[in-house]
Amino acid sequence: MDKSMIAELYLSFAAVFHRPNQDVSDHIEELVDLWAEVIPEIDEAVQKLKAFCSKFPPGEQRLNALWEHYIPLFEAGAVEASPYASVYSGEKGLILGKEAFNVKQFYANCGYVMGEKSGELPDHIAVELEFCALLARNGQAESLMEFQKKHLTPFLKRILPRIKNSNRPVYSEIATILEVRQLNLQKEGDFVG
Amino acid sequence: MKRRNFLKGVLYGTGATMAIVGGFGTFNKLDSLKAEAIGENLETTVFSSCEMCRNQCPIAVKVKDGKVVKIDGHPKDAAFGGVICARGNAGPSLLYDPQRIKKPMIRTGERGEGKFKEVSWDEAYTYISDKLYNVKDQYGGEAIALASRKGPHDWFFRSIGKALGSPNVFSHEATCPMTRSVALDTTFGNEAIAADYANTKYLISIGRNWFEGIHVAQTRAVSKALSNGAKLVVLDPRFSITASKGEWLPIKGTTDLAFVMAMANIMIQENLYDQNFISQYSEGFEKWAEEVKDKTPEWAEKETGISKDKIIQITREFAAAKPQAILDFGWRTAYTPNDYQLRRAILIVNMMIGNLEVPGGYYRTKPANFLRDFPDQVAYAKGLGNIKQPSFPMSAKGRIDGTGVKGTAGQIIPAYDGAVGKIVESILTEEPYPIRAWLVHRFNPYISLTESPRAVEAFKKLDLLVTCDVYMTDTAYFSDVVLPECTYLERYEPIFDMSGLTPKYVIRQPAVPLVYPDTKPYWQIYKELGEKMGIGDYFEFKDMEDFITQQLRPTGITIDKMKEIGVWTPPGMNAFYVRANDAKASLDNVLSNHSKKIEIFSSDVEEATKQGVPKYVSHPQPEEGKFRFVQGKVAVHTNAGTANVPILNELMPTNTLWMNPVSCTKLGLKDGDEIAISSGTYEHKGKLKMTEGIRPDTVFCYHGFGRISPELKRAFGKGINGNHLIPNEIGEVGNTVTSTTFVTVRKA
Repeated sequence: MDKSMIAELYLSFAAVFHRPNQDVSDHIEELVDLWAEVIPEIDEAVQKLKAFCSKFPPGEQRLNALWEHYIPLFEAGAVEASPYASVYSGEKGLILGKEAFNVKQFYANCGYVMGEKSGELPDHIAVELEFCALLARNGQAESLMEFQKKHLTPFLKRILPRIKNSNRPVYSEIATILEVRQLNLQKEGDFVG
Repeated sequence: MKRRNFLKGVLYGTGATMAIVGGFGTFNKLDSLKAEAIGENLETTVFSSCEMCRNQCPIAVKVKDGKVVKIDGHPKDAAFGGVICARGNAGPSLLYDPQRIKKPMIRTGERGEGKFKEVSWDEAYTYISDKLYNVKDQYGGEAIALASRKGPHDWFFRSIGKALGSPNVFSHEATCPMTRSVALDTTFGNEAIAADYANTKYLISIGRNWFEGIHVAQTRAVSKALSNGAKLVVLDPRFSITASKGEWLPIKGTTDLAFVMAMANIMIQENLYDQNFISQYSEGFEKWAEEVKDKTPEWAEKETGISKDKIIQITREFAAAKPQAILDFGWRTAYTPNDYQLRRAILIVNMMIGNLEVPGGYYRTKPANFLRDFPDQVAYAKGLGNIKQPSFPMSAKGRIDGTGVKGTAGQIIPAYDGAVGKIVESILTEEPYPIRAWLVHRFNPYISLTESPRAVEAFKKLDLLVTCDVYMTDTAYFSDVVLPECTYLERYEPIFDMSGLTPKYVIRQPAVPLVYPDTKPYWQIYKELGEKMGIGDYFEFKDMEDFITQQLRPTGITIDKMKEIGVWTPPGMNAFYVRANDAKASLDNVLSNHSKKIEIFSSDVEEATKQGVPKYVSHPQPEEGKFRFVQGKVAVHTNAGTANVPILNELMPTNTLWMNPVSCTKLGLKDGDEIAISSGTYEHKGKLKMTEGIRPDTVFCYHGFGRISPELKRAFGKGINGNHLIPNEIGEVGNTVTSTTFVTVRKA
C-alpha cells in the first residue's frame, strides 16, 4: 500500500471521528468506497453504511442524523465512548491527563503543533488519526510506527469496543471497520500499513 | 481504483477544508525551539476564587505543566485560613470532566428528546436573537423571563432582558434565603447584615446547618466559637451534623415561630431584654410585646414539642450571654408560606438583647461606601467604580409576580430577586400574562424549583428556552439552545466586593487557558449576543481585563496587583463594629430605612401583609401514617450544581429517605428497602435509611438528586428529587415553600 493510500485511510477515519460537518457528511460514500476497497471482510458494516447513505442522501438531514448519535456518543453529557485517550489511561476518567501531554509532545517532536483554532484536545481520537495521516503522507514511517505502538493502538483497543457496543448507526460500523483494520495491521506486523 | 477527490483534497490542503499543512486544519508546523518549550516543567500558583458554590471563596490554584493539580484556600485570607471545602477541592475534576458541554447546541428533535446538533457561536446567537425578537414583537418584551443563580454574571445576563424591555428578571433567591432578605429589608432597611459567629458565646440555630450547608468562613467561625466554649443549640426535626456539635432539640416542623415568640415572652416576663437598646434604636416594641404576651412557654411546648422548661432554660442562657449571643437568622429555603415572619421574629429577639454592631452579634457589612460616613474609617474607603450603561427602556407591564405593587405582598419582595417560581405558573396559566421565552443562566429550574414535573410541563410550552451552563443539566436537556460556559478556573470576572467587618475585594482570573476551546466566559457570551441583537451599547467594554481596570480605577489598586494578591483588604484596618466602644453610638448609618430605627413594627409590612409585627400561624401537622417531608444540604454537594462532578459524585452518588425506626416498624420497612414516596399528586422511588436522627413524624432527603438528564451520566436516575414531590406553592413574599408537604411511604 503506498503512503498516499495509507494517509487517506487514516484521514478517512479522522474525518468521521471529528465533529460532524457538512463537507464530510456529504462525502461518506467516498470513505465507504475506500474502506470497501482496501479492508477485507467488512461487508456487513459496509452494507449498513450504504443503507444509511441511501436513507439519508447528502444534505442537512444526514448531518443532523450524524449529530444525533455523535453528541451522546462522544460529546455532551453521557459520553458513551469518550473520545479522549486520557480518559482511559488511569487518571480517574478525566481529560487532559498525562497521555494528552505525551501525544502533544510527540506531535512537537515530529514538527507539529495543534493550531490555536483547532478546537480540540491533543488526545482526541480524530486528532490522533489525522496526525497519523500527516505522518504517512510525509513518509515519516518510523514516527508513525512509534506513534501507533505507543499511543494510538492502546487507545483504540479501549475506545473501539465502546463505540461498537453503543450500536449507534454509522459510528458503530466505522468502529468495526477500524478494528478490523487494526487487527490486520497487527497480523501483518506492519503498523504503517 | 475509484476517485477520492475529497480525501485527497483534504490531505494535501486543496479542498474545501483548506489547511496550513493539510488535513482538517488541526495542525500547524512547529519550529524546534517551541518544541522544546512544550516539555518544560512549570509550576505556578494562581490566586482566584472558587465557584463550586456561590460563595466565591478566595483560592490558590496550583498549576503544573499547564494543568490544575490542586486547589487550596487563599493562604493570606484570615477568614478562610488557607482551607476550602470538599467541593472546592473537587474543582479540577469539573474542569477536566469529559462530560462538560463543549460547543453551542441547538435542539433538532422534540423538546426533551435529547437530540441536538452543534453549531457555531454565531449560529447560536442568530437563532436566539431571532426567536427573542419574534417573542418581543408578538407578545411584548415582558413575555421574556430570565433566571439565574445570583452572582457576578447578573450584570451581563440581565442586560439582555432589560434591554428588551422585560421586567421579569429573577434570581434564585426565592428558592434560597429570600425570606431572610425580606426580614432584613423590612427591619433594618437593608439586607447587608451578617453574623459575627467567631466571637459569639451562645448560638441558636433554627435549621441552619453550617457543617453541611458550608460557607467556609462561617463554618470556621462557628467552629472557632465552639472551640472557645460557646454553647450551640440546634432546633431541627433532623439530627444534622451541626446538631451533633451542640444540643439537638427535635422541634416539630413549621413551629419554629412559636419557639421564637415564646423566647420573647419569657424575656419580657423576666425582664431579660436590653431595654436601653430597644428604646434608643427601635420602634414598635409595644406592639410586639402585645403580640407575644400569650405566647407562653406552656403554649409553645404544645406547639413545638419542646418542653417549657427547656424553652425557658435556653432563653435565660441566651439572654445571659447578651450581647454576645446569636439566634441565627438562617440561610436556607423557606419552610412555610409566611416564613418571612419567622425571620423577622428572629431578628426582633436578637435586637431584644442589643446584639447589633458589637462583637459576637450581628453587624452591617463594611464596604467602602459605608465607611465614608465614619471620619475615623474614611481612609479605608476605596470604593469600586461602576461601568456605565445607557438607561434601559421602561417595561410596558409590571412583573408577573407583582413585585413592587404597593398594598400587596409584592411591595416587600426584593425587586432584584422576585418570585422565580412564578415563571412556571405564568407560562402554564398565562396569568397575569404569558411568558413565552426563558433564558436560564447557571440555574436548573427542574431541580431548584418545587414541583419539578410542572416545570417540565412549562418548558414544553415555551417558544424559546435557552440554558447557559457547564453541563447538559435537566433544564438544558429540554432547551432549544444550550450555551457552553467555561468554568471558573478558565475565566476572568468582575472584581467582587466581599466586605465583612472590613472591605474586601476578590478577583477571579483564569488559572489555565480554555480546556475546551469553544467554551466561553459568560461576560463574552452575553456581550456577543447583545452585539448580535443590536444592543451592544449596553456592553461598552473591550474585554474583562478592561472591565476590571475600569472597576479598580477609583481605588488606586491596579489589575496587576489584584492578579498578584488575589484578595485585597485595606492595610492596617481592624474589624469595625459601630458600637464596640460606645454602646450608645448612632446607628443611623447602619439603618437604611426612613425611620432610622430598627422597625420591630414595620409600616411597610403592615401595608403589604397587614402584619406589621409577626403573628403566629399554626400550620397543620401530619396525621397518623403521613410524614412531613423536608430537605437539606450535604457537605459534598451544592444544591442543583454538583451531582455530576466526578469526584463529588464518587463521594456521594445518591441520597436516601431518612425515617425513624419507630415509623419504619409501623410500616414494616427496614434499612435499605426500596420505597415509593407519595405526595398524593406525585410519586418518587428511592431507598430508605433507618435512623434515630429524625423525628418519627418527619422524613428527610438531601437535595439535588434524582436527575432526569441522561447526559448527566453519573447522576442520571440516582436518588430522590425532593422537589418532584413538593407543590409549586408561592409563599407570601414570593418564596418557595419546602416544609409543608406531607407524604406517605410504602415498600416499592
